[in-house]
Amino acid sequence: MSTIEVPRAEFLEISTDQPAQPRRRRIKRKTVNTVIWMVALLALTAIVLYPLVWMLFATFKPSSEFGQNPGLMPENPTVDNYVKVVEGIAGTPLWRFFANSLFIAVMAVIGTLFSSALAAYAFARIKFRGVGLLFAAMIGTLLLPFHVIIIPQYIMFNKLELVDTYWPLILPKFLATEAFFVFLIVQFIRNIPRDMDEAARIDGAGHLRIFFSIILPLIKPALITSAIFTFIWTWNDFLGPLLYINTPEEYPLPIALKLYNDQTSTSDYGATMAVSFLALLPILIFFIVFQRFLVDGVATQGLKG
Amino acid sequence: MFNIRTRRTALAAAALTASAALVLTGCSGGGAETAATYDPDEKVTLDLAFWGNDVRAELYDAAIASFNEEYPNITVNTSFLGFPEYWEKRQTEAAGGGLPDVMQFDYSYLRQYSENGLLLDLEPYLGNVIDTEPLAQNILDIGVVGDETTGIPTSTNAWGMYTNPKLLEQVGVEEFAGGDWEDYDAWMKEVTDAATAAGVELWGGTDWTGRIQNFEVQQRAKGEDLFTEDGEPNFTEEDLAAFWEQGDAVRTDGSVIGQQRLEEIYPLSGFDSALTASELTWDNFGAGYLGNLGTDFTELGLFEPPVTEEGAKDLYLKPSMLHSISAKTEHPEAAATLVNFLVNSPESGAAFGTNRGLPASTTALEGADLDPLSQQIADYEASIADRLGDAPPVPIVGYGTLEEKFRLIGQELGYGTLTVDDAVSQFFSEMDVVLNQ
Repeated sequence: MSTIEVPRAEFLEISTDQPAQPRRRRIKRKTVNTVIWMVALLALTAIVLYPLVWMLFATFKPSSEFGQNPGLMPENPTVDNYVKVVEGIAGTPLWRFFANSLFIAVMAVIGTLFSSALAAYAFARIKFRGVGLLFAAMIGTLLLPFHVIIIPQYIMFNKLELVDTYWPLILPKFLATEAFFVFLIVQFIRNIPRDMDEAARIDGAGHLRIFFSIILPLIKPALITSAIFTFIWTWNDFLGPLLYINTPEEYPLPIALKLYNDQTSTSDYGATMAVSFLALLPILIFFIVFQRFLVDGVATQGLKG
Repeated sequence: MFNIRTRRTALAAAALTASAALVLTGCSGGGAETAATYDPDEKVTLDLAFWGNDVRAELYDAAIASFNEEYPNITVNTSFLGFPEYWEKRQTEAAGGGLPDVMQFDYSYLRQYSENGLLLDLEPYLGNVIDTEPLAQNILDIGVVGDETTGIPTSTNAWGMYTNPKLLEQVGVEEFAGGDWEDYDAWMKEVTDAATAAGVELWGGTDWTGRIQNFEVQQRAKGEDLFTEDGEPNFTEEDLAAFWEQGDAVRTDGSVIGQQRLEEIYPLSGFDSALTASELTWDNFGAGYLGNLGTDFTELGLFEPPVTEEGAKDLYLKPSMLHSISAKTEHPEAAATLVNFLVNSPESGAAFGTNRGLPASTTALEGADLDPLSQQIADYEASIADRLGDAPPVPIVGYGTLEEKFRLIGQELGYGTLTVDDAVSQFFSEMDVVLNQ
């Protein structure tokens, strides 16, 4: 708390000083500064966004134009790419791939939130035998490269005959395997005063009641952060569905959009661009809608830690 | 937990017994008996995996629809991916024991999978379930690793040279009249000079020393494959240095397209982008070139690669892909039936045309309705018969890595960031790693 008070005091001092300076010059200098900042930021934004804008314009290029016209504007603009893409791949319409991706992402979000919050509550609030060891093991899984577990995990799901279903993609999320989110929520819960739990316990609440009525509402920012990250990661995940889904109708978007591109025969670059752009939209919208919460969640996290 | 475990043990035991039974029937008496114990009306489901794009997926759907008219009891579940993802997935499945029953297979992976016992030996099915009549012996030999036949080629490619007649006409240069590699260099220079004079951004071709296949063609002209039957390298550092030095002239005088321009248009090639008038490549790339060149270009020229030595059998037919069956399949006869249909049947020929390369089987080829370009490829493969030798031994494990390394070194040579001597030592140390892994 004291760290926050210090800057506040400084700020007060500055604001009492300020009226002493000539006002007009200050405003003018401020405007010049703002303009310079704006121009610099706009230039940076333009550089960062250029590939995206190029991609948007490229979706209107016919496929044959890609080798001969690397510029921004299409020479022969066409919407054929979108028409082709909406029709889908080999009899599966595009919306089906969207629906698959959405289903996996939503289930992953539900699973991660549910399981990570429960696990985090246990780690942060319940004293049980081996809690330290288990916590260390959980953190340890963060250090395990994903590539190490690909094959053992595949063998497991293959023996369980769950390959070519969504279970291998969703089930782990319900088992709190995302150590990063468990850790995030544990840290969050540890910062909530225990007094509240104890008050609830005196009133006769058990762990479940404390979890649902006291802790859950208080960790909302952490939950939102976890939800956003899980959604984006799952939506963009390529390797998981690649390994576990065999039936083309069940492919999520990242796999489907690779299908327009075959280096061994013909590649439809126009369609690849169009479907990539469409696949990007949900993430973009999701991010725009939730970005306030995202920043909130991360920022609160930083302060409390 | 206990219940599941016992059930799984029981399942494993059942699977073991079944596979043991399979092995026994396989050993006990060749084809006839295998076919006899097989109930052709049994309802089975097969998984079929292939790489390709949406176009090829539709062709497979059509082929399988006609397969089901003949064999309604066999349900085929197809699965397809792009080439790199396809192999990423297969590698995991191979390690985890879940390979699909029937796979479209690539020549470069055949040795690795065969030597690890992952592919079914098709020997017992040859001549009965799989019709060998329409397949030439040299084509069947392509799928033999050690003494097992683990793949049946669906179609063949040959190394060739594509040219762009429209661009050549534009700059007023005749097609390459044939000759050796120096003649080809001179021709490329002529095209580039004519284009510069006409103010067109066009080069005669791409630096051909960047492709391992051109090295292979030159080595084969001396009567040597790149690798021996045992997978040992069959060329010296001097051979490789001499090969790369041949490219010095064209790289420095600018008669081939520069590496930087190539990077700008990647993943397309100079030929795809109408920036070069010729390209040495596999002859099945034609359809892709026409697609990428767009509607302005309607025809391509397809000619023999330059001659290293008159009368040498330096070219060969490569399987553009093969069909293989997983060693763990529960229905080997049904799988072999499907492979036979996909390779040999006129219906499959009609469905695929030359999408998978020129059909290797004469019956499939008869069924195929060839468009002008496919006809051109068929004629080309017939025309080079004099230069066709035996196919080299099945590529070594890791050949794909070496091919890629060769291409990357070619790029560096193009940039001038690597000398030929350094390039040779880099390639040999990479080869050392690949061969000893």
